[in-house]
Amino acid sequence: MNDKIVVGIADMKLAQRQGMLITYALGSCVGICLYDPVIKLAGLIHIMLPLNMETGRKSPMKYADTGIRETLRQMEQKGASRSRIVAKIAGGARMFDVPGNGSLGNIGQRNIEAVHMTLKRENIKLLREDVGGTVARTLLFDASSGQACIRSYGKAEVIF
Amino acid sequence: MKTFDELNILELDTIREIGSIGTGNAATALSNMLGCEVRIDVPEVRIMEYNEAIDWIGGPEAITAGVLVRINGEVNGIMLAVQQIEFVNMILSRILGKEITNYDELKELESSALVEVGNITISTFINALSSLADITMHLTVPAFAVDMQGAILTVPMAEFGGQSDYIMTIGSNFICDHRVVPYRLLLSPDVRSLNFLLKKLGVLDE
Repeated sequence: MNDKIVVGIADMKLAQRQGMLITYALGSCVGICLYDPVIKLAGLIHIMLPLNMETGRKSPMKYADTGIRETLRQMEQKGASRSRIVAKIAGGARMFDVPGNGSLGNIGQRNIEAVHMTLKRENIKLLREDVGGTVARTLLFDASSGQACIRSYGKAEVIF
Repeated sequence: MKTFDELNILELDTIREIGSIGTGNAATALSNMLGCEVRIDVPEVRIMEYNEAIDWIGGPEAITAGVLVRINGEVNGIMLAVQQIEFVNMILSRILGKEITNYDELKELESSALVEVGNITISTFINALSSLADITMHLTVPAFAVDMQGAILTVPMAEFGGQSDYIMTIGSNFICDHRVVPYRLLLSPDVRSLNFLLKKLGVLDE
C-alpha cells in the first residue's frame, strides 16, 4: 500500500503488476477502473463530464467518452487485449440538492450514463459498480489483483 | 470570449478588488449576526487549475461543510462557501455556545446556523458585486453538504468544466474573539457572464 499512484481530476494513470492507483473524492465525477487480468495491466481514469464537445480536445481524460477510448488505446499499446479488459466504476453522486434547476444536480447521473454507453460501445464488460447516491467516494485500485476499494465519509470501506 | 486563464493584469486586479469589497461586506454582515466584531485580512484571489485549487484549500479528502448558491439573472454562475472546522466552531460558539470536534456532531440546528451564515456571506458578497457593476443577479435558496472537500469543490468545477480548466478562489481570514480562522469562497461565473461582468466594470480588453 506504500506505492500509491495518485490520479487527479481529469487524469489517468496506468500501473502494471504492482502499485495502488488511487483517486480522491469522487463527487459527481466518475472513477473508471480498467483491467486486463492476464497481463495485470490496470488503468484508472477520473472523469468530470460526460461527452467531449471541445473543439481542440486538449484534455481527453476530462470526459467519459474520450477518456475511456484513449485509455483503452494506451492499454492496447502496452499489450492488453480488448476482449480481456473488464471495468469497475464508482462515483456519480449528487453532492448538493439545489431546488429548481436542471443540470447542476444531475451531472453525476449524466456521467454514469455516458460511462455505461461508452463501455458498451467499446465492448468492455462492466463487472461491478457503486454509483449515484449523495456521498463522495475515494477509489483505490490494486494493479496486482484488479481489486478495487471505496472509502466514504462516515461509512465502512467497500471492497469490490 | 475570455476564460479565467486569459485575463490580463488590469482585469485580474479588478476581480481582486471585487473580492476585497465583497468579503469586507460579508465580514460586516457576520459582525451583525454574531454580535461581535469580525475583522478580515486582505483577501487573496487566485485563479487555479482544478487539482491545484483542491490542494490549496487543504486536500481532497478532508471533510468540510459547503454552502452552495446558484446565481441567475444577467450573470449566471455558482458561489460556494467552504466552511472548515475552525470556522464552523467560531460560528457555533458564538451562536449556540458550543463547539464540535467532528462533523458528525452537526445536527439540524447546527447545520441551519451554518447554512444561514454561508447564505449571508454569499448574499452580501453578491450584493456588493451587483451594485458595483450595476447588474441584476438573483440567488437560489442555499444548499448544504458535509463531505470530502474535493467532491464539494468539483460541483462548481463540473458545472462550467466544459468551458475552462480554471476556477477562481477567494481566500481570507476572519478574525473574531482573538481567533483567526480561514474562510474560502469560490465564485464561478460561466464564461459569458465573466466577460459581461468585466465589460460592465469597464475593464474588458477585447
